[in-house]
Amino acid sequence: MGSIKIQQLTKSFGDTEVLKGIDLDIKDGEFLILVGPSGCGKSTLMNSIAGLEDVSSGDILIDGNNVTDLSPKERDIAMVFQSYALYPTMSVSRNISFGLEMRKVPKAEIEKTVADVSQLLQIEHLLDRKPSALSGGQRQRVAMGRALARNPRVFLFDEPLSNLDAKLRVEMRTEIKKLHKRLGTTIVYVTHDQVEAMTLADRIAVMKDGQVQQFGTPYEIYNNPANRFVADFMGSPPMNFIECVVLDDKLVIESQGEKFELHIKHGERLKQAGVETVILGIRPEMITEPKPHVAGALVHSLPMQVDVTEPMGPDTIAFGQWNGTEIQARLSPEAGVEAQATGLIKVQVDTSKAVLFDAFSGARIDA
Amino acid sequence: MFDYLEKQLPKLIMAPTAIVMLVCMYGFIGWTAVLSFTKSRMLPQWEFVGWEQYERLFANPRWHVALDNLLVFTLLFIIIALLLGLMLAILLDRNIRNDGALRTIYLYPMAVSFIVTGTAWKWILNPGLGIEKMVRDLGFTDFEFRWLVDPDMAIYTIVIAAVWQSSGFVMAMFLAGLRGVDDSLIKAAQMDGASTFRTYWHVILPVMRPVFFGAVVILSHIAIKSFDLVQSLTGGGPGYSSDLPATFMYTHAFSRAQMGLGAASAMVMLAGVMAIIVPYLYSELRGKKS
Amino acid sequence: MRASTTSHKLYKTLFITLLLAAALVYLAPLYVMLTTSFKGIEEIRNGNILALPDSLNTSAWSKAWSSACTGGDCYGLAPYFWNSMRIVLPAVLISTVIGALNGYVLSQWRFRGSNFLFGALLFGCFIPFQVILLPMAMLLAWLGLANTVTGLVLVHVIYGVAFTTLFFRNYYVGIPTELVRAARLDGAGFFAIFRHVFLPLSSPIIVVSVIWQFTQIWNDFLFGVVYSGPGTQPITVALNNLVNTTMGGKEYNVDMAAAVIAALPTLVVYLVAGKYFVRGLTAGAVKG
Repeated sequence: MGSIKIQQLTKSFGDTEVLKGIDLDIKDGEFLILVGPSGCGKSTLMNSIAGLEDVSSGDILIDGNNVTDLSPKERDIAMVFQSYALYPTMSVSRNISFGLEMRKVPKAEIEKTVADVSQLLQIEHLLDRKPSALSGGQRQRVAMGRALARNPRVFLFDEPLSNLDAKLRVEMRTEIKKLHKRLGTTIVYVTHDQVEAMTLADRIAVMKDGQVQQFGTPYEIYNNPANRFVADFMGSPPMNFIECVVLDDKLVIESQGEKFELHIKHGERLKQAGVETVILGIRPEMITEPKPHVAGALVHSLPMQVDVTEPMGPDTIAFGQWNGTEIQARLSPEAGVEAQATGLIKVQVDTSKAVLFDAFSGARIDA
Repeated sequence: MFDYLEKQLPKLIMAPTAIVMLVCMYGFIGWTAVLSFTKSRMLPQWEFVGWEQYERLFANPRWHVALDNLLVFTLLFIIIALLLGLMLAILLDRNIRNDGALRTIYLYPMAVSFIVTGTAWKWILNPGLGIEKMVRDLGFTDFEFRWLVDPDMAIYTIVIAAVWQSSGFVMAMFLAGLRGVDDSLIKAAQMDGASTFRTYWHVILPVMRPVFFGAVVILSHIAIKSFDLVQSLTGGGPGYSSDLPATFMYTHAFSRAQMGLGAASAMVMLAGVMAIIVPYLYSELRGKKS
Repeated sequence: MRASTTSHKLYKTLFITLLLAAALVYLAPLYVMLTTSFKGIEEIRNGNILALPDSLNTSAWSKAWSSACTGGDCYGLAPYFWNSMRIVLPAVLISTVIGALNGYVLSQWRFRGSNFLFGALLFGCFIPFQVILLPMAMLLAWLGLANTVTGLVLVHVIYGVAFTTLFFRNYYVGIPTELVRAARLDGAGFFAIFRHVFLPLSSPIIVVSVIWQFTQIWNDFLFGVVYSGPGTQPITVALNNLVNTTMGGKEYNVDMAAAVIAALPTLVVYLVAGKYFVRGLTAGAVKG
């Protein structure tokens, strides 16, 4: 009850192609996140699923039925909007019941649904108010209540948390996840916030320029990015990208005027590829203060000149330079204090999870 | 089928308006344009005479009087209404209490028809019984004020009545503009040590440029269309000394059976309005996009 | 410090004096109209235009209303007052309804070319009506509506819709499109969304549109004088005829009473809903 299949979907506004052949297979009950920078087409894709925008070509199937040409009301989909889009002249309870009223649901049933939904979302005390008398978080709940009341096959969330302050955003994030666990209804959720994407999703579709760059679980996306764009977009602080000269099956890093050779996981493949330079992608948490218990062929020790440190609490981000590129290392708070004081530290570089990209195209070359 | 209809509904709703607009605005403009190239008099005649009607029009001394009057009237009307409106708006903006009542008083003439305005001022300016008599009764027995019956001055009576009617509107526009000026801008100017006068002159008025232009466009539009006021105040007279293009057009098209000539004068009026409106609308729509 | 407060006070007094003086000038014509209308003819000839009437003589009013001559006949303004009502009420109602629907489409249901349509309509607010007078007269004659109230209603609707559409479009454009989207997902159609979501929001702009149209159409003279015949003339035309009827001696008191009668409906509307009147005037002039 709620699988979505999107096949070769394209959409153009005049000469600009906003969606360039999207293929997605969303399983029933899945929490799918569409993430990408603004203008990547994620909102257009969501509106196409909702039926609010006509597509240029391709098909959308819900539970195996082709709904591409159906109007929004026939698709049995509910949506939570970024601006909440609550009907300003209606009370909270009528906002929630309006969809049912339009679908000619019997009155008694409507009343029961409104009661259930408002209890679930803890907004019973707000039912008689107008949206203008609600706080941002309350509006958010009402908007979700309106969607829930219809008990649709699919929920669409269009950046629902972006208008909330930071603390409330984290709270609502957890609440949405709990709600999904409880209802088990398919959710398609658009966001530009990669933290939201990582924390909420069963699977993530990373989009850019109207194309899906990668479609996978948060673990896959984070640890095995399909290309440099995905690697850069997901993760905070972002992955370090260091252009390195290839020496046989090793990479050369220059720090403090000295050259160091880094062993990597797929050294032999690199050798076969026969390229002179590659981009080494390595996440900040793999550049740390020396940890004696971690050892092996892929663990190296390098000096790093520290320009600035940013204490985050649980750890400290240190900024330095290798091969003329700015890099970020993730240090323990204690190592951070030392780095700040001395300006020069020894760090441990673990390349076991490092990835390699083509210097020009940004494509993965080690996968 | 039903779905298809529902999808086309917005277009269907707009269709009657679009068609009527196409016919009754643009079609009719075209029709009038065609008429202006025919020798139509009492009834439309489709015998084309080229630019003859326009040549007749511009050879007609009465048309030149109407154009000269329009120039004098428009300039004086706009300048006086702007200055008066701006002055009232600035004075009102100085935190006067009960400004609601004052605003109501300045603006009420706008709610009244030009015919009523004309009737009232015709009586006030009446040479025998109006202002002239009032001043004479005060002891100035030689006082003369008979602009209404003076061919050289009649047009100025129209300016007086039109300013009375429309300056309140200018005041309302400027006041809305002034109240919309960002407070922090004024505070910043005061911190910089600017006097009230300088604050207005260098900071606030420049911000109000769009309001200013809007007012000029609307006033000139009122001026070019002015018809009712002339009809009721002077009837275009004495003689045709206070004719405006609008009254000229009406007289020739409907009273004198000179349809072709009337159409030509209407086209000239349209051209005049376009010369003002098109650049304005263009810049407004442009400005909104960016 | 003290000096500056004194000068400040001085300025403030000056400002208020200026404002009050201006108010008197603006009120003067209304005052003159009212006082004159209550005077007798002799009193007018001998007295001062600014003087108050000796007594409240209402004969000029009853004459203006029911027996003054307006051109050909001598029934006073009453029949023309009702003519105006018969023209204004349907024209206001119809043009407001059409304008509301048009504005709803042009702001929330845009289609290819709808912006162009709006631009073309907007331009229509500015054309001098002289340029459509002749063809419209022919169209009305062809439709058999020349010199009829229906014809005048039609003309006022056609050329009023540009304004009402502008009002509603500019008002609805401020309502987020997401509301329509939400309602469509809730299963509401074009009209249901209009009725349940937009109409309840529209009271202010409906008032603006109705007031604007009422004032415009009531005060219209050009269409009235061109497209009406004897018996269907609106009050502005009748007033102009009454004032310019040259038979017998001029009865200024009757003229003034008639002018006040013609002005009364719009003045009342203005006094009751002045706020909306100003909004209508400035709509489209000051930024949207």
